[in-house]
Amino acid sequence: MSKRLTAYYWMTVPAVVLFFVFMTLPALQGIYYSFTNWNGFGKHYDFIGFRNYANLFTDSNVGNAYLFTFKFAIVVTILINVLSLLIALGLNARIKARNFFRGIYFLPNILSVLIVGYIFNYLFSNVFTIWGQNLGIHAFSTNILGNENLAWIGVVIVAVWQGIAFNTILYLAGLQTIPASLYEASNLDGASRWQEFWRITFPLISPFFTINMVLAMKNSLMVFDQIVALTNGGPGRATQSISHLIYIGGFQGGEFAYQSANSVIYFIVIAIISILQLKFLQGRESDM
Amino acid sequence: MKMGRILLACLLLASILTACGNNGENAGKVKLEFFQNKPEAKGSFDKLVAKFNASHPGIQVTQVNPPDAETVLKTRVVKNDIPDVIGMGATDTYSILAKSDIFADLTQSKLVEAIDPNYIKMLKDVTGLSKITGIPYATNANGIMYNKDIFKQLGLSVPKTWDELIATAQKVKDSGIIPFYFTYKDDWQTNLPFNALAPNLVGIDFFKQRRENQVTFQEKFREVAEKQLKLLDYGHGDNFGKTYADGNRAFARGESAMYIQGSWAIPEIRKSNPKANIGFFPFPTGNDPDKNKLISGVDTLLTISESTQHKKESEEFIAFLLEPDNIGQYIQEQTAFSAVKGVTQNDPAVAELEPYFKAGRVVDFADHYIPAAVQLNAIVQGFLQNRNIDAYLKTLDTEWDKVQSRK
Repeated sequence: MSKRLTAYYWMTVPAVVLFFVFMTLPALQGIYYSFTNWNGFGKHYDFIGFRNYANLFTDSNVGNAYLFTFKFAIVVTILINVLSLLIALGLNARIKARNFFRGIYFLPNILSVLIVGYIFNYLFSNVFTIWGQNLGIHAFSTNILGNENLAWIGVVIVAVWQGIAFNTILYLAGLQTIPASLYEASNLDGASRWQEFWRITFPLISPFFTINMVLAMKNSLMVFDQIVALTNGGPGRATQSISHLIYIGGFQGGEFAYQSANSVIYFIVIAIISILQLKFLQGRESDM
Repeated sequence: MKMGRILLACLLLASILTACGNNGENAGKVKLEFFQNKPEAKGSFDKLVAKFNASHPGIQVTQVNPPDAETVLKTRVVKNDIPDVIGMGATDTYSILAKSDIFADLTQSKLVEAIDPNYIKMLKDVTGLSKITGIPYATNANGIMYNKDIFKQLGLSVPKTWDELIATAQKVKDSGIIPFYFTYKDDWQTNLPFNALAPNLVGIDFFKQRRENQVTFQEKFREVAEKQLKLLDYGHGDNFGKTYADGNRAFARGESAMYIQGSWAIPEIRKSNPKANIGFFPFPTGNDPDKNKLISGVDTLLTISESTQHKKESEEFIAFLLEPDNIGQYIQEQTAFSAVKGVTQNDPAVAELEPYFKAGRVVDFADHYIPAAVQLNAIVQGFLQNRNIDAYLKTLDTEWDKVQSRK
């Protein structure tokens, strides 16, 4: 082995080992437990084969959690990407106090999700309700997090408010890779702003669009902290995401093995979605 | 540089010396770890532990009170690092741990003699075991708090039956005051009326029969469900938007006449308003006041680890906590009730409950008998939103069956 290669091994192997010990090994353990009836502690458990998996497919709570999570993820992904692209365009323009605004829009990203969640929880119950009453809008005069049909919108608002920050930064980085000469040329040719956006800006930042779509989708499919801070899955099970169901059922309900099976299925679902998204969006990139 | 090293060496030496000093003082002492789950009770237990350590020179007890204590305890059980003495509620977690044989068998212990047999029976019912593995210590009560000033102002008396309760609530509502301050944003709060209605109207035996599939919720729980819904007519404008903390503040400020709550909320209410003039009566669930029982469960039980090296000393510590003076001090500070016979709670706010304790007219919380995996809280909260009784009862049955079949 040459000396140069040794250096590269030193750079990569520790990370691989750490990843294996702290991520892969627990995941493999989870798969192992998903074939047992272990309750999370104690020494006794039996192998029960695929019974956990069979039960999962007849459990309406699991179906309900999937439905909520996908509805939530699709809405959040679309909103985050549209809004953060708009904000990035604004922050990339030659406006006054540009760095100040960039700082402000990045702020939500450095706040803890739980803190943001608890602050919004307070706002939803004590501030927005008063605005609603003063404006005379019945639907907003009560806490929307306490309403079975509206609670998910509250969670979406918080997730989007916080999620925008990171995606804005990525779009901003993308916008800065576009050479100014292209816009000068299009100006000379008399292209409208609309044409400029669809013919130059959007195609050139499409790798950033891909990664933003994948990240936003993956993050919102795994939504957990916001739910804990805002609704704890309620009212009833109206805002229970899959991660939340796995946590509550596995740790509070003492059904560790059953929820391990649920996580194995969910891992496969997320992997498939991410691969499909990457394939489709990267294919689109090369067409452009 | 050299100076720095010498300084460092001195510091190290000093720290070693002080460490030795500590060891010398505690040498030969039996060290006990007392693990308990109530953050509210940490101060009270600290005082009692200090008193014990002072009067028992051979034993050194240390209190441990981590956040999310039940989960910490479970992980320590996995690691086989079980604390010597454990204080926890008579919950589903206790039941699961007791069934895994991690607690010492105290059936023959003298400690049991001082305890009200009602609570011993409760523990046996919760675990389903015939041996005693926990000593009930402090107990709580679930009922209805009321604002004495509002009751006086409206000329109301304490309701003894369900019909009287609804009539009282109606009068309060007619006078423009909120009858009940519901805090149903927190799902565990939606359970409080259920916990009072089910044991009185259906009985705790139902849950034993349910385990054997002899009865169903659909057959027995219609009245409970109807009464749960009826109460919602007497709430405020945003029943599902307010949390437990909101409710404690609002009730302390006199915003509602009644508050369906547990005795554990009294210290919190007094924090908001030390002068709150509150009373507490048992939930009147039916129309025969003589049949109505108070809902009271074991808030803290004391138990010894099976694997401890110091069983004798651990029992000594528990015996000390059970001494009337000590438990008296504890329940006074915590507005709890004593599981030790003959020790009474004199707080005027809960004076009306004392006759029920004396006569043994108490029954346990319903949800102590429902497996945690059923997620009763979420089911009840969902039902109160969509108000569909048939779907609610059917869900209770199917969820129960699903959990049983997954075991």
